[in-house]
Amino acid sequence: MKIIEVNRLSKTYPGGVEAVKGITFEVEEGEIFGLLGPNGAGKSTTMMMLTTLIKPTSGSAKVCGYDIVSQPNPVRFSIGYVSQDLAVDDTLTGRENLFLQGRFYHLSKEIIEKRIKELLELVHLTERADEKVENYSGGMRKRLDIAMGLIHRPRVLFLDEPTLGLDVQTRQDIWEYITRIRKESNMTIFLTTHYMEEADNICDRIAIIDHGEIKAIDTPRKLKENLGGDLITLSLRQDGIERTTLFLENVKLLEYVNDIKKNDGRYTIIAKRGEKLIPLIFNIAQENGIEISSITLKQPTLDDVYIAYTGKELRDEDGSPEDVRRMNRILRRSR
Amino acid sequence: MKNFLQDVYSIFWREMKHFIDQKMRIIVSIVQPFIWLSLMGNLMSGFTNNPFGLMALGGVKYLDFMTPGIIIMTTLFGGIFGGVSIVMDRRFGYLNKMLASPISRSAIPLGKMLSSALTAGIQALMIIIVAKLMGVNFATGILGIILILILAMCFSLAMAGISLALAARLKNMETLFAIVNFLTMPLMFTSNAMFPTQTMPDWLATIARWNPLSYVVTPLRTLVTSGWNWMEITQGLVYIFLLVLFTLYIATTQFKKSIA
Repeated sequence: MKIIEVNRLSKTYPGGVEAVKGITFEVEEGEIFGLLGPNGAGKSTTMMMLTTLIKPTSGSAKVCGYDIVSQPNPVRFSIGYVSQDLAVDDTLTGRENLFLQGRFYHLSKEIIEKRIKELLELVHLTERADEKVENYSGGMRKRLDIAMGLIHRPRVLFLDEPTLGLDVQTRQDIWEYITRIRKESNMTIFLTTHYMEEADNICDRIAIIDHGEIKAIDTPRKLKENLGGDLITLSLRQDGIERTTLFLENVKLLEYVNDIKKNDGRYTIIAKRGEKLIPLIFNIAQENGIEISSITLKQPTLDDVYIAYTGKELRDEDGSPEDVRRMNRILRRSR
Repeated sequence: MKNFLQDVYSIFWREMKHFIDQKMRIIVSIVQPFIWLSLMGNLMSGFTNNPFGLMALGGVKYLDFMTPGIIIMTTLFGGIFGGVSIVMDRRFGYLNKMLASPISRSAIPLGKMLSSALTAGIQALMIIIVAKLMGVNFATGILGIILILILAMCFSLAMAGISLALAARLKNMETLFAIVNFLTMPLMFTSNAMFPTQTMPDWLATIARWNPLSYVVTPLRTLVTSGWNWMEITQGLVYIFLLVLFTLYIATTQFKKSIA
C-alpha cells in the first residue's frame, strides 16, 4: 500500500524562492525512506509540507490516504514528527513532556501512562524520567524527542536529521531504536539525514533531492549499481598526450568498462568487475609504454552516488547564516 | 468542544509549569509591589499630606490611591510580555511540534492568555495582601477584592492577547521587546495610574482621560477608595469585557493567519 503519495508538489516562498519544484514520488507502507540532499535542496520544505506545517503552492500529497491541505487533522493524527530542533521542553521532566504530548493527541490518561512506560523503556530513560530535561544530555534529549513522536503510535514517523550533532555512539543507538520500532510495529519512517553511510545502512529506498527536484530515487544498492560499476582510479606518470590517449582508448575497448572520467589529473574508470580488470589495465599500459604510478579500486558508496547527482560533497558545504545559527543553537542544546 | 477545552488546558498547564518553575519571578512579584508601595507611597505622602493634595486624591491616602495603579502596572507588564513565550516556542522548535499535532490552532494563544490571566491574579493578590499589611483600606471589602482580581485578570488576558498577536506577526524577540517597551511606559505615565488627573496640566489630563489604561484603573480605584459606585464599575466592566473580546479575536486570527 502507498502510504505517502506526492504528486507534482511545489513550494515557492514569498519573495520568490522556489524551494520545491514539482516533485512526485511514493512511499510504501513499512518502508524506511530517506530524503538526501544538500542544505537548501528542499528536504525540510518537503517534510514540512507533508507534516502540514506549511501549505504547498501547487500540487498535492496524501499521507495515509488523507490530503495534506484539505484534511490536515486526520494527517496529523496519523503521523509523528521529530524535527531537528530537539524540541523538548526543558522546564518539564521527561515524563511530563511525554504526558503533554499524549494530551495533544487526545489520548486518555490511562493509555498515556501505559505508553510512557513502554517508550521510556524503549529509549532507556526510565531511571531519569522524573528529572527535568534541562539536566539531560544531547543524546537523552533526542531519545526523549523521538519517544514523544511515538506516543500516539503514528503510522508514519517523520524524522528530520535525527542524528544531527550527536556523537557516534549516540547516533548508533538512535538508529538501533529506529530499526527496532520499525521491526516491532511496521511503522513507515520518512527521514532526512546528512550521514551517507547511515542512510545506506538503514534506508530501504532513497531519494536524492537538489535544487528542489528529485534527481534519483531507488534502493541504495540500485543507486550504486546505476553508477555503472566499481570505480578504478588511476594516476599516470605523464608520458606524452598521444600515448596516454591511445592507452585510454584501448582501456575503453575492454569488456565491462562503461566510462572514463578525468579529474584533477587522475582518471576514474567506471566498470563492472573491477578486480578482474586491473591486470588487463596493467597489460595495456605496458603495451603502450605507460607507467602507472598508483591505482585504487573501490565499490561505489552512496557518497559517490550523491556527488554524481548533486555535483557536491555533503561535507564541505557552506551554510547560510541562518543555518549556522540554527546549528549552533542545536549544538548548544545538545551539549 | 471537549477536545478544544482539553487543548486549551494542555497549553495552559504547560505555561503554568513554566511560571512555577521561575522561583525568582514569584519572589520578585511579591517583593516588587512592596518596594513600589513603600517607596512611592512614602515619597508621595510628603506631597499629598496637605489639604490640596488630599482634595486631588479624592480624600484618601496616597497609598490607597496608588494601590490600584500598582495592580494595573504589574498585570500590564505581566500580560504584555506574554508573546515572548510564542517567540521562544518558535525558536526552540516546540511551536512546530505543537502545530504538527492535531491540537486546535486557537487553543495555543488562548491557553497562553489564560495562564497570563491566572499569573496576574496571583500577583494582584500578592499586592493586595502587601497593601493590606501596609494599612491600605479596601472600601468594598472582600467582594470588592474579588472583583478587583477578576478585572486585573481580564486586563492581563487582554494585554497578553495583544502581545501574542504582535509576536505571531513579528517572529523576532528584539523587535517584540522594542515595540512592547515603546508602548507600555508612555501608556503607564500618561494614565491616571500613578498620579491624579487633577494635578496634571490640561493637555496631559486629556490624554489620561482617553488613555485605555485609565479605563481600567478608574473602576479599580473606585472599588478601593470610594465603594460600590455602580456607574463607574459597570463602565469599567463593559470596557474590559469588550477589550477581552477584541483581543481574543485578534490573537486567534493573527495566530492562525501568520503561523498555522
